[in-house]
Amino acid sequence: MKIFTKNLLIYALLLLTYTLLFRFGLSSMLTAEKWAWVLIIAILYGGIIFVTAWVTGKRDGMENFFFDAGFRWNLTTGIVWGAASEAWFLLNLHSTYEEIRVVHITLMIWSGFLLLHFIIFLILRRRTIKGVHRTDIFE
Amino acid sequence: MTDDTMHEELLNAWEDTYKKGQLTLWIFLSLKEGSKYVTELQESIERFSKGTIRAEEQSLYRTLRKFYHLKMVDFSSGKGHKGPDRKYYHLTPLGHTLLQSFVERNILLFFEDPLKKLLLPDSST
Repeated sequence: MKIFTKNLLIYALLLLTYTLLFRFGLSSMLTAEKWAWVLIIAILYGGIIFVTAWVTGKRDGMENFFFDAGFRWNLTTGIVWGAASEAWFLLNLHSTYEEIRVVHITLMIWSGFLLLHFIIFLILRRRTIKGVHRTDIFE
Repeated sequence: MTDDTMHEELLNAWEDTYKKGQLTLWIFLSLKEGSKYVTELQESIERFSKGTIRAEEQSLYRTLRKFYHLKMVDFSSGKGHKGPDRKYYHLTPLGHTLLQSFVERNILLFFEDPLKKLLLPDSST
């Protein structure tokens, strides 16, 4: 199974860009105490990630036939978001309203969902033959 | 809607559903005839199916890559007319036995009585 596909790398790069822009927007709006904007950019950030993941994941499914139940996308989101957020704090770019504790708690919860997702993937993988889902073999 | 239009629309809808999952059979039958590169395979499928099945080149490449991964087809490199070498695909022993088993279980029954008689146009009431 090819893990690092072109579409996954494109998704990771776009996600990194969105996350850095989101972090910048969030810290700026919090510093300026513009609370409504904090909510707006958070919704926009979530929305754009969902659309990008949908488009790149769908394209990846058309180009590659290996079944992963979307786990690689979920894992990539966690890693990129976590790394970008940690770096934001390490570089001291955050506002006084932000705490690194929130990032750590989010990552812990995310890890739980990732584990659950991985278990689901392992269960569904039993319906594959050499990594290809039975329903995707014959067209 | 006239009866003729209704007939045509229902036939098209039935054929759309019927054709799903058929590409594999046409690929296998074409490769059973002999090794082929993708364009030849595409032409052969269209010729065999009398134009009822048309496969996109990209779709064939993807399917062949998948079948290669699952050891149902293999390929050897051969000279192209002018350009680079081409991949000539052929069925592996697994591909051959798989086709044979599938045909025995799902296709040959149409050649047996009474189905054979029922399939003939004049056998309708």
